[in-house]
Amino acid sequence: MTTDLPMPRVGLAAEHAPKVVRVVLNWGRRYSLWVFNFGLACCAIEFISASMARHDFIRLGVIPFAPGPRQADLMVVSGTVTDKMAPAVRRLYDQMPEPKYVISFGACSNSGGPYWDSYCVTKGVDQIIPVDVYVPGCPPRPEALLQGILKLQEKIAAETLSSKGIRTKYAGRAASAAEVTRPSLAPPGRQP
Amino acid sequence: MSLLEVVVRSVVVLAAFLVLPLLVGQTEHKVMAHMQGRLGPMYAGGFHGWAQLVADGVKFAQKEDVTPREADRWVFRLAPAVSLVAYLVALSVLPLTSGVVGADVGAGVLFVLAAMAVGILGPLMAGWASANKYSLLGGMRAAAQLLSYELPMVLAAASVALAAGTLSLSGIVEQWHPLWLVWQLPGAVVFLVAAVAELQRVPFDMPMADSEIVFGPLTEYTGLRFAFFLLAEYAGIVVMSLLFTVLFLGGWQGPFAAALGWLWTLVKASAVAFVVIWFRVAWPRLREDQLQRLAWLVLVPLGLAQLAITGVWVVLTT
Amino acid sequence: MTSTTDPRELTVGVGAGGLATADMVLNIGPQHPATHGVLRLRLVVDGERIITAEPIIGYMHRGAEKLFEVRDYRQITVLANRHDWLSAFSNELGVVLAVESMLGMEVPERAVWARMLLAELNRVLNHLMFLGSYPLELGAITPIFYAFREREELQTVMEEVSGGRMHYMFNRVGGLLHDLPAGWLGRVESTIEDVRGRLPDLESMLVGNEIVHARTRGVGVLSAETVAAYGVSGPIARASGLDVDLRRDTPYLAYDQVFSSGGPGRVVTRTQGDSLARLEVLLEQVHVSLDIAQHCVGVLGSLPQGPINVKLPKVVRVPEGETYYATENPLGFNGYYLVSRGDKTPWRLKLRSASFNNVSVLSETLPGNLISDMVAILGSMFFVVGDIDK
Repeated sequence: MTTDLPMPRVGLAAEHAPKVVRVVLNWGRRYSLWVFNFGLACCAIEFISASMARHDFIRLGVIPFAPGPRQADLMVVSGTVTDKMAPAVRRLYDQMPEPKYVISFGACSNSGGPYWDSYCVTKGVDQIIPVDVYVPGCPPRPEALLQGILKLQEKIAAETLSSKGIRTKYAGRAASAAEVTRPSLAPPGRQP
Repeated sequence: MSLLEVVVRSVVVLAAFLVLPLLVGQTEHKVMAHMQGRLGPMYAGGFHGWAQLVADGVKFAQKEDVTPREADRWVFRLAPAVSLVAYLVALSVLPLTSGVVGADVGAGVLFVLAAMAVGILGPLMAGWASANKYSLLGGMRAAAQLLSYELPMVLAAASVALAAGTLSLSGIVEQWHPLWLVWQLPGAVVFLVAAVAELQRVPFDMPMADSEIVFGPLTEYTGLRFAFFLLAEYAGIVVMSLLFTVLFLGGWQGPFAAALGWLWTLVKASAVAFVVIWFRVAWPRLREDQLQRLAWLVLVPLGLAQLAITGVWVVLTT
Repeated sequence: MTSTTDPRELTVGVGAGGLATADMVLNIGPQHPATHGVLRLRLVVDGERIITAEPIIGYMHRGAEKLFEVRDYRQITVLANRHDWLSAFSNELGVVLAVESMLGMEVPERAVWARMLLAELNRVLNHLMFLGSYPLELGAITPIFYAFREREELQTVMEEVSGGRMHYMFNRVGGLLHDLPAGWLGRVESTIEDVRGRLPDLESMLVGNEIVHARTRGVGVLSAETVAAYGVSGPIARASGLDVDLRRDTPYLAYDQVFSSGGPGRVVTRTQGDSLARLEVLLEQVHVSLDIAQHCVGVLGSLPQGPINVKLPKVVRVPEGETYYATENPLGFNGYYLVSRGDKTPWRLKLRSASFNNVSVLSETLPGNLISDMVAILGSMFFVVGDIDK
């Protein structure tokens, strides 16, 4: 079962704005990053630490009040992505509206981390979704996440947004959620 | 009323409608943060993150507008507007100070309550049209909630109208006396509880309960439509605070009311809004059936008792 | 327990047909705000009432047990740390204790007491996390900030000794990585004092709140029989009146001295078995653990200077044989079944984790409750997804 997803587009304002306005638009995206925490493992705890009083990333405009993907701008994948979870990660990424950003938080989601030789761990979330900023560490300190967010904000500030650019981002990654849902191994006794 | 006056009044009401909810939202950010030992937004706009919600608005305008394929398209798209317009209409008849009101309606109390009751249709429509199980559950909860608070709220408002002998909002404020704070207190409490339930705020935020049903009716909304729902929520706080001020706290009455009446209204309304925010920081949420029990076993009898007291008082004193 | 009621097709009849009703299948998770992690619950609901509930696990299965077999005994602690990421120290402790018992190794006394101190601090850290996240599920956002303030203080202390905020890697076969830094014990003592002084703030927001009582009292009652049948352990078992605690029953380290009469240790139990009781057990355990930790600081201060670990050969080989070593983790029994064929890696290292059993009881408790109660029950089961799936 594959579902053809429509190619994502940015909102009207971002598509047709003149250059001066784009500075304002970029400023808005930079300081309003509603974050969707894809908390998978240990790193999720450090992510929560980063949202708590001592580190408080709400200072930077990262708002952790998005319970679902539809309202989010930033997805932080924190923890080990397993092969069983990978389709769900992809699906939730697909459900986020453009423009959207991804921070891969911690060694596991960067590359598999200490589970690099496991039979059931995806070796890096960038195999299934495009990642903007990688934060190293196992788990990274909350300060490292703050640094990652600042890097992302710099990136956003210098960005020119267009539907064409989004199409390029998806080029080579055209697989939809349904495609990654297909089991990579056929059950015994059955052909794929 | 000339055309120019109509335009000016509309623009002023619209401006208030866009600015006041943002103020409440920003206050919520900051109040909540400081109650929790945080700082809240600090960078957007420079000084203490004053422009956080402006940035949010600019961002939401750029987001992709997603309508789920299985959704009931028109209902889905219309729902945020229904929510929003209801509060806009309600705001337009709330008096700021003596003679300063968007539109002076004779039966203001009735009008406001009716307009706000339409607003609740927004979440219901959204819950039904989203084609999402969580949204549906949220919609059902919103409908159940509607049944529980509407009656006590009307009873409490009726008691005030009875005491003042008028349904006009300005008239109620004219009749208001500080003594009302005492003998209308049960009514005020009933009204505040019912108002929080209508606003779907903690501790009555079951329709949106994010740890249970993701975001209830709003689960599938993105971009501007979602922002409209958020704006409606905060506009609701503004309308409710102003209404509570006008009904129970004597609106613009206070020292130097002639010159500073508008300030008194705003100060009192801000205090009410602060209380609503405070609830969210301090309390967990109730369960849907617990709200029903609270409404029918506590609020309705209390409202009726208040109405009886007011009736007896009015008969005895006139 | 598989689904007993098959979901029917929804047909809404109008007029003479009447309204046909159907049960709805609701998938909570694998990513859902309430599951803090990637547990999936397949619920069949009638309106908001749950008819059947089936936990579907495996989304966090990382194959740790298989990886243990290709790591040597020093490296195993890295992975053991991470299956229950909130009780990292207790996990690595279990592994090294199992290896030490097979080696027949005697650990210096200072190491024993230092391990106990750190294990109890870790227990407090774990419990504070749940004391913060549970109210979050009930809709209260503030307690988690209070809980994390204390967590940060304690994490700083742990970091000062081990260098890690979460995964300490401080246990070694034969003792600890290095000696405690000078003046550190004083730091621990003052931090314990601070945390204890501020705990009432948190408590008043939890057990002092009427709405929390209304949401949790009598919700998700577990009988002692069910608890025993499902192998549930830890605070959840004790909240149902099952008086089990491995620290007292099969003492390891020096817990027999702590739990002897006159010692600071005691086992916290309740009999109600509902969500509130589980919450209360957790709260009280924080106090007990702080007491034990303080006692350990006192003992460590009075012990004479000496080594804190045993010098190991370059390659650690465990003699052929097998052992099962269970410890009382913050969430319940945590056992390691170690089979060695005399290699430098284990031939098999089976994990008995607390959360797996604690979650399996969900299919028993959830049916009949509302979705709102589901959240209250799920949160009070105090599980870590990595500990379920390993």
